[in-house]
Amino acid sequence: MHIKLKYLLVFILPAMLLYTVFIIYPLFDSLILSFFSWSGVGARTFVGLRNFRTIFSGSFGKELFNAFFNNVYFFLMLIVIELGLGFLIALMLASKIKGAGAFRVVTYIPNMIPLVLVGFMWGLFLNPQVGLVNQLLKLVGLGGWAQPWLGQSSTALTTIILVNVWRNLGFYVLVILAAILDISPELIEAAYIDGANNWKITWRIIFPLTFSTFRTLAILLFIWSFNIFDTVYALTGVQAGPYRSTDVLGTLFYRTAFGGLGSGAVDMGLGASVTVFIFAIVMPVSILYVYLVEKKQRSA
Amino acid sequence: MLKLTLFGKIIVYILLAVYCLVVLVPFFMMIMNSLKSMREIFLKPFSFPSQVLFDNYTKAWRQGSIGTGYRNSALVAGISVVGILVVASMFAYAISKYDFKGRRFLFIYSMLGLAFPARLAIIPIFILLRNLNLTNSLIGLILIYTSVNIPFSVFLLKNFIDGVPNELSEAARIDGATPMQIYWRVVLPLVKPALSIVAIVSFVNVWNDFFFPLIFINDKSKATITLAVSIFFGEYSNQWPLLFSGLTLAVAPTIILFLLFSRQFITGMTQGAIK
Repeated sequence: MHIKLKYLLVFILPAMLLYTVFIIYPLFDSLILSFFSWSGVGARTFVGLRNFRTIFSGSFGKELFNAFFNNVYFFLMLIVIELGLGFLIALMLASKIKGAGAFRVVTYIPNMIPLVLVGFMWGLFLNPQVGLVNQLLKLVGLGGWAQPWLGQSSTALTTIILVNVWRNLGFYVLVILAAILDISPELIEAAYIDGANNWKITWRIIFPLTFSTFRTLAILLFIWSFNIFDTVYALTGVQAGPYRSTDVLGTLFYRTAFGGLGSGAVDMGLGASVTVFIFAIVMPVSILYVYLVEKKQRSA
Repeated sequence: MLKLTLFGKIIVYILLAVYCLVVLVPFFMMIMNSLKSMREIFLKPFSFPSQVLFDNYTKAWRQGSIGTGYRNSALVAGISVVGILVVASMFAYAISKYDFKGRRFLFIYSMLGLAFPARLAIIPIFILLRNLNLTNSLIGLILIYTSVNIPFSVFLLKNFIDGVPNELSEAARIDGATPMQIYWRVVLPLVKPALSIVAIVSFVNVWNDFFFPLIFINDKSKATITLAVSIFFGEYSNQWPLLFSGLTLAVAPTIILFLLFSRQFITGMTQGAIK
């Protein structure tokens, strides 16, 4: 249908103004700010690429790469656990069992809690002396396994990842389940008639037909993995202890731009260059995502 | 879908039951421990409270500014949701039902926000709000949340509006209806389910957010619920009974909302950005 320009503007401008002013323009301004030194007040000083030299070298560089690899570890663990377990549970919920609807609701409950509060809650449960996790281990005779989960470098990051999984798994289960239920039942019925077993049906029919969902989820997981902040903040604080073993780019950025106890100089320009670094990592995947979404829209 | 033997069914039920326990037991323990004394939490963490201390809740409510947190979060989330519904549905309607130059560009442009988390722009947003005198203000949060939720809402609403037959809006136009009337009287009533999904999902997104209040709000009286609880945890880190009751109070509203509207939630979350 055709529309007059003045009407068109009425429909489009409010959303576009808000979105451009508060999202798109700031994203660009982040890029520009990364070439300046600025304490947050007063004039900005143009410093060229100095911020990037600073964040990639010396002690800052060490922290940056440490945080970066923790994000990568986050991503790899989440891919394996969320998509693997998610697929398994979705398959179970998609089989002909009673009460699947109730199970579905239960899986999604943790997703309703703010991530940061999930972090605080598990922080109490994981307390080394009196937390429920260690108390439970002692109760069932596995007291030897009890340990300061968040207090030692070897387990802290993995523990935080598992807390994330506890909170988010239901989302992956439901998205994968929705994809599985989209497959026509006749197809699977026909495979049974041809003598295929469940294993074959899972890998030869269900997995290939839901693959695009896995791809989309992997893309989103990648983008989200580089934005982890809330759970680390709640469980090990902005210092991301012990000894930065749980540091991620989000917490490193927060310390750089907004301070936090014991951090060095606060510099907005330096902080912006950290976000540009995150941006650069996420960008190729983000573009792929927008491309896929748009392609799907046009074919629909 | 998959057919299971009796043995297979038993295994599946056991696994699902274990999973449900893993999900539900922490909530149960949180509530149990919120009603105990500190001593009892430490000595008998898994038992029922020997004496139910509702007093923990009144204390947590007062000392944790939970009431203020509720009010601020409800205000911010409520107003943001109205804003999102209005601007996103108008935009989605225009790019779904009308042909004009730049329509495809506008759609892609509006999707960028799905791919680039707004957190990456936090410093300029912070500066922008400061220049507008809107830091430490609920209005600032409302503006940000409305903007942040535009991409997801436009995406979902456009999908639904695409499904409204063009013949309907065409017929209304021939009868002399203006675009505004077609939008309001023809299209919106037909996509009510989508509007309710957007409303519920974005309400929870806003209610649950922590990062923006952490950066923008430094006055306890303006704290949203997540920030209020975070401050409470900092100040009362040893008062476990109060921490557990504060947490229970803080997580209750969204969980109740979810149990009431679980179907809308599940469609919204699974279709929002995925399909």
